[in-house]
Amino acid sequence: MALAAPGIIWLAVLFLVPFYTILAIAGGYVNPVFGYPVAVWNPLHWSSVNLSSAMRDVVGSSAFVGPIIVRTLAYVAAASLLSLLIAYPAAYFVARFAGRRKGLFLVLLIAPFWISYMMRMLAWIGLLQTDGYVNKALMSLHLISQPVNWLGGLGPTVVLGLVYGYIPYLILVLYAGLDRIDPALIEAGRDLGLGRMRTFVRVTLPLSRQPIMAGLLVTVLPMLGDYFTNQLLSGTTGTTMLGNVIDSQLTTPGLQGEGAVFSMLFLLALIVPMIYYVVATNRSSRDAA
Amino acid sequence: MLGGAGSLLEGCGSAHPGTAGPLMSNGIPLPRPNNPVTWQVFKDNPAIKSGLAPERGATLRIFNWVAYLNPQVMKDFGKKFNCKVELTTFQNMDVAMAKLRSGQLNFDIFFPTIDVMGQLVEGKMIQPLNHSYIPNITQAWPDFQNPFYDRKWHYTVPYTIYTTGISWRKDHVPEDPYKMANPWAMPWQAKYKGRVAILDDARESISLGLMKNGIFNLNTTNAAQINAAGQSLQNLAHLTNMHIDNNDYTEIPSGQIWIHHAWSGDIAAAPAYMPKGVPVDVVGYWFPTDGKGPVGNDLITILRTAPNPVLAHHFMNYLLDLPNVLTNISFNGYMQPLTEITPQRLVKEQLLPPSLMSTAVLPSYFRRGVMELQIPVTANAIWEQAWLQAKSA
Repeated sequence: MALAAPGIIWLAVLFLVPFYTILAIAGGYVNPVFGYPVAVWNPLHWSSVNLSSAMRDVVGSSAFVGPIIVRTLAYVAAASLLSLLIAYPAAYFVARFAGRRKGLFLVLLIAPFWISYMMRMLAWIGLLQTDGYVNKALMSLHLISQPVNWLGGLGPTVVLGLVYGYIPYLILVLYAGLDRIDPALIEAGRDLGLGRMRTFVRVTLPLSRQPIMAGLLVTVLPMLGDYFTNQLLSGTTGTTMLGNVIDSQLTTPGLQGEGAVFSMLFLLALIVPMIYYVVATNRSSRDAA
Repeated sequence: MLGGAGSLLEGCGSAHPGTAGPLMSNGIPLPRPNNPVTWQVFKDNPAIKSGLAPERGATLRIFNWVAYLNPQVMKDFGKKFNCKVELTTFQNMDVAMAKLRSGQLNFDIFFPTIDVMGQLVEGKMIQPLNHSYIPNITQAWPDFQNPFYDRKWHYTVPYTIYTTGISWRKDHVPEDPYKMANPWAMPWQAKYKGRVAILDDARESISLGLMKNGIFNLNTTNAAQINAAGQSLQNLAHLTNMHIDNNDYTEIPSGQIWIHHAWSGDIAAAPAYMPKGVPVDVVGYWFPTDGKGPVGNDLITILRTAPNPVLAHHFMNYLLDLPNVLTNISFNGYMQPLTEITPQRLVKEQLLPPSLMSTAVLPSYFRRGVMELQIPVTANAIWEQAWLQAKSA
């Protein structure tokens, strides 16, 4: 019990207290003079005003959040799939074939973390300008005839931004998982007469399921709540994601309570894949035992 | 503009007894040009005494918007008064007020907007001024020596003045707003999809929608009008997938945006951001020639908890002195309402290119223009909700 104390204190202070504060603001009211949210700590006195305002935005006659939820899911699905297609071969290569240069490749994989997320996105703004290097390169290769307005509110720009921003996390988690696959199992597959491709499909890929799930979990969850990438690389109404709506509400006097409700609803929605991951991991550990 | 009701209020010698104009739900008055307000000076929040020496070896702490005060001005003041000057910035007034309310910050000077005056005074967050330290107020336009939002300037001196209009790139957009029937509708053009931007500010952008619809009461509490303005912005989103940001001063010069709902001072600063080889006269700025458009001014105040109130008074006075004001304008582009500062003078001092004379603010604008002022919290929520929906269209 004593050993668990630091962990319990950590959870209580850094998770439960902020969590309850958001609940208290969601159930609270707005100061009528200053417009700031007033938290109500006693659940018996919670008001449902903010909840009904949030519901009005989701399902009421003036609802506007539905298409934004769909867009957010579509962007994140596309970005996750693309990230996986890029990250898996990279992680697989380092884990299986990098040999003595594994350390070097790992450093290269971690290198993007040395630069802040904001700086990396700001760099892309320069590259994607109408007269930026991306347009110049594409035009010199005759892939486009006139410059593309990449920052003019294009969905693909936001998706690629998300991929670029979160892919290092995915590669690292995948690498950690793939590196632990026992090479003997792959050799056994080959010894039993499977070709390279079938060994990969029948042996390596099933063993990669856990790392893929873990990797997607650490990237999909922050992507779903991301508002910054979109703000920098688009900033238009046509690419608004759910994170942008919550961000706007939390920074607007009078709407913070509603923003707190949306944050809670979002959290509840994200708990579902989290629980699935925990259950699936437990099951596979049991099977392995 | 500043007549009538104001003198009645002054006679009462208090903030809001007998106020006939609009009020907050708890009786705090909402200043309007036709309903000037003299704020109460509380016994437990008095002004400093006259004739005090400036604090020695002090660090004057300033809380201001980003890129809104010339570092050279701070440096020169520090040299003159033998003190350090430290700047902390904020991105918008909501964030600034939230930080100040926390009571944890020990700034001396704060640069608020007019619409938070009631909160600052009634919340006793700022201190009344001792006018004997600020003789340079005589350099300000007469209107600002007794403004409607703070009669007798008990708590504030004016900082910058500005208009909100439309900026456009003449080399990409052939239409001239000065020749259009309704220039406020200029952004609503599908052919400029991806090249249109509006300001990321609920009051400014819903006001754009209101004016496009012919409504010039920019403090309306009429939900139908506000929602119609929000709907107009949603239509704009569908037509142009507009950007929403406050980077008018970089995006118009760079050519990334061709039509930007813009602040005059930002566009006056455009020459500093023009790419090499692009002449500044490709940038245009429209504000109604009859002055009937959004005008505004920001303020300088001293916080009640200021550790260096005497230095803070001197700093206010310093920021109302012509040479320092010219230095400041050379950095941020925003005019200050001094009688000696005229559009012609700015051009002569090479602080403003002749092609952007329209960004200059005239005293008459403050008599004919419309101002976005504080509205009750409940009405503000309607504005914010309409804005949120427009942003998410």
